[in-house]
Amino acid sequence: MKSLTIDHLQKTYFDPFAAKQVNAIRDISFSVAAGDFVSVVGPSGCGKTTMLNLIAGFLAPTAGEIRVDGHAVSGPGPDRGVVFQSFALFPWRTVLDNVAFGPKMRGVPKAKRHEIAREYLALAGLAYAADRYPNELSGGMQQRVGVVRALANEPDVLLMDEPFASVDAQTRMTLQEELTRIWAQRRPTVLFITHDVNEAVFLSNRVIVLSHGSVLEDIAIDLLRPRAWDALIEDAAFKALAARVLQQVRAA
Amino acid sequence: MSAATATAPVSPWQRAWGAYVRWSARNPALASLVPFVPLVVLWAAVAKSGLFPPVFFPGPLEVIQKFGTLMANGILPAYLEDSVVRLAAGTAVGLALGIPLGLIVGLSDRAHRVLWPVLLFFQAIGDIAWLPILLIWFGFGLTTMIFVIVYTVLFPVVLNTVLGVRSVPLELHRVALSLGASKARVVWEVVLPGALPNIMTGLRNGLGFGWRALIAAEIIVGTSGIGFLMFDARRAGSVVEIMLGMIVLGVLWYVVDSWVLAPIERATGERWGLVNR
Repeated sequence: MKSLTIDHLQKTYFDPFAAKQVNAIRDISFSVAAGDFVSVVGPSGCGKTTMLNLIAGFLAPTAGEIRVDGHAVSGPGPDRGVVFQSFALFPWRTVLDNVAFGPKMRGVPKAKRHEIAREYLALAGLAYAADRYPNELSGGMQQRVGVVRALANEPDVLLMDEPFASVDAQTRMTLQEELTRIWAQRRPTVLFITHDVNEAVFLSNRVIVLSHGSVLEDIAIDLLRPRAWDALIEDAAFKALAARVLQQVRAA
Repeated sequence: MSAATATAPVSPWQRAWGAYVRWSARNPALASLVPFVPLVVLWAAVAKSGLFPPVFFPGPLEVIQKFGTLMANGILPAYLEDSVVRLAAGTAVGLALGIPLGLIVGLSDRAHRVLWPVLLFFQAIGDIAWLPILLIWFGFGLTTMIFVIVYTVLFPVVLNTVLGVRSVPLELHRVALSLGASKARVVWEVVLPGALPNIMTGLRNGLGFGWRALIAAEIIVGTSGIGFLMFDARRAGSVVEIMLGMIVLGVLWYVVDSWVLAPIERATGERWGLVNR
């Protein structure tokens, strides 16, 4: 587990149709401590996905620096694992081979990488699905595989881009609880992007509210763990925090 | 009104249809012959009716007899082998050139800008339009025929590979890079399998066009092969042999489709859910 530091990050791009420069990210600085769980929320168009693409290295920043464990990074790399809203599983690989993909790229021999993959699949209760193809799984199951695949590569930082936005409401709650459980066990450093305020408060130690490409507010979430929806949904402290974050997002 | 709620009895037709569906599921090879039965019966009936002189319109029996003699004297197997080897060699070269070219054009915007118009230009000068100049350059031989097949197979493979490469979702490139894949690895592990269903479509089209181009080339170049057999039979006025050649063409395509192409498609795109059956 390593820390993640975002230092005066900026992203400007030229819109050829409007013939002007657009400031997608004005100036963002914050850091995520090793083993911490931080969410970023904000209205659509606030730049949260652009920010994640910059941190993941899919886009090059106009200015500023991204540091993992104090070292500046550029371009995508296995130190920053990514979980996508669209799951992004390889349709031509079985669940087991999807999860084993990262170790395979590192040159881990087949028997060993399958052992790693099975261990991580068991962590999410997916051992029975190892030999299936992604199209044979439900959306919730596919995203479990997406999360497990990122974790199995043991990244320094886990970046999650609205990973539960495209599954149904009940499955989403289950996935959120599972994620907090796995996070408590493995303690990866997580940066979680979402537009769902309740989700951000439920999962995180800190919630950052983004507005027009800059940080509006940084709110500590001091709810006890383990967290479960049955208990928290009527919890006064949870409700108060969610209301506070929501207020900020709506003001953003 | 109350009778409507009772389950309707199974009619004899439904019973027969059910039996046929079950039988054809157990014997798919035999079942694929069934649609041809009425066709052959109709053919035999027209031939038998005497509407046309038998020399112009022979029946199935004559064609089967001819098949027997040409198999026995070794002409049909030898010609068949010539045609199939030419097609296989031309297709192999066409794939070996077409897939890498398609990958380059599909992956690089610059290559796409430079090569795409050229590809479209040469695609328009379809296969046999090359024959006049090829006959002058290479003469009446194997080189000319292979060139025509390679040319014919190449374009569908390239164009479909480009389409396939471009249809691989951006997220799959990104996730592979984030899992530690190099750019070359991404091509091998992500782009190629993602483009495979389209490459198969290209191969299917290419083989179909190539097969037709080969017959045309054999008719014109004329040394051996099924196309030559048919054209030679025209000179001898043997409609039986021409009909036999036509049937061989159809059967051979069916064999290539059901023994080579369809199994690959079932094991890849259809299995992965990239192609709906």
